[in-house]
Amino acid sequence: MGIFNKITIFLIIVLISDTAISRPISWPGGSTFMYKSNSMISSYFYHYSPSYKYSLGAEYITDRYHNDQYISLRSTYLIGRSNTKSSQGNMYLTGGISTKSNDEYFYGIHGDWETRRWFTSFSHLDKNTTNNDYTENEFQVGFAPYLGDYGELHAWMMLKTKKDTIDNNWESYPFKIL
Amino acid sequence: MNKYFLLALIVLTNITYAMDNNHDSHNHEGHHDNHQHKSDSGVDGSLVPLDEKMYTSFISNINEGQIAIIDVNGMVCDFCARGIEKTFYKDKMVKKIKVSLESGKVLIAYSNDKKVSFEEIANIFLNNGQTAVGFTLRKL
Repeated sequence: MGIFNKITIFLIIVLISDTAISRPISWPGGSTFMYKSNSMISSYFYHYSPSYKYSLGAEYITDRYHNDQYISLRSTYLIGRSNTKSSQGNMYLTGGISTKSNDEYFYGIHGDWETRRWFTSFSHLDKNTTNNDYTENEFQVGFAPYLGDYGELHAWMMLKTKKDTIDNNWESYPFKIL
Repeated sequence: MNKYFLLALIVLTNITYAMDNNHDSHNHEGHHDNHQHKSDSGVDGSLVPLDEKMYTSFISNINEGQIAIIDVNGMVCDFCARGIEKTFYKDKMVKKIKVSLESGKVLIAYSNDKKVSFEEIANIFLNNGQTAVGFTLRKL
């Protein structure tokens, strides 16, 4: 597939997507910056990975639902990884605490499994805020319309569905199919 | 109970970091002087045949040296493999690297002065989060 077609597909996906895809842990010594937005929050998240086993970071969160803004210090730890010739699966523990209050924190578990063509992930987080405590579950599936090699432009079409115990409704991104 | 969970997570990460540092404080030189591992001389781990076109292109501008051909598991995305180049290029004996996601192979050109060891290479991949499962060494 030519570079023009790859760029076209990439731009289409960026235009219809509301999340930036990234990794909870980078390569040793690597850093990652993520932007995320959904119906409840938007956030800018930066993390640094001293090793492939864990990362430390800070997330600036705008909580539209609770009309609040704060910074959360986060840590993610790789519990286990499975490497095969064509796939990688990971399981992580994660947690964070707000710089505003010790009573605002979250913890949870998430995992992913991917090949060069498919990506799947899940996430379960317990969030404690001064307003209320709630649980958030997320599932994600992604498909690569073309396979790029190392150093080439890569693109993914991702479908994410999320439910928290505040709204108690499944929300899907970018398309509402549930 | 929730705060204890968070505390346990933080402690786990600190313990892991400490374990990584302790491992770096000693070396394995001399541990294997009296015998030779099969892996040190070249494990025939070519689970996928080497694309000779890729190999020929890789060595086209290399006059002399040793080419390590490594089969790697878990190398399924560009992001995953970024650290491979960055880590290996810290070694001044590394002349050139080629990462192929399609074939799951990494080609590394070393200078002839380097004593190429599969154990060392495997550890680098492990610390980057992948698994080296095969190794072949060709001399130019």
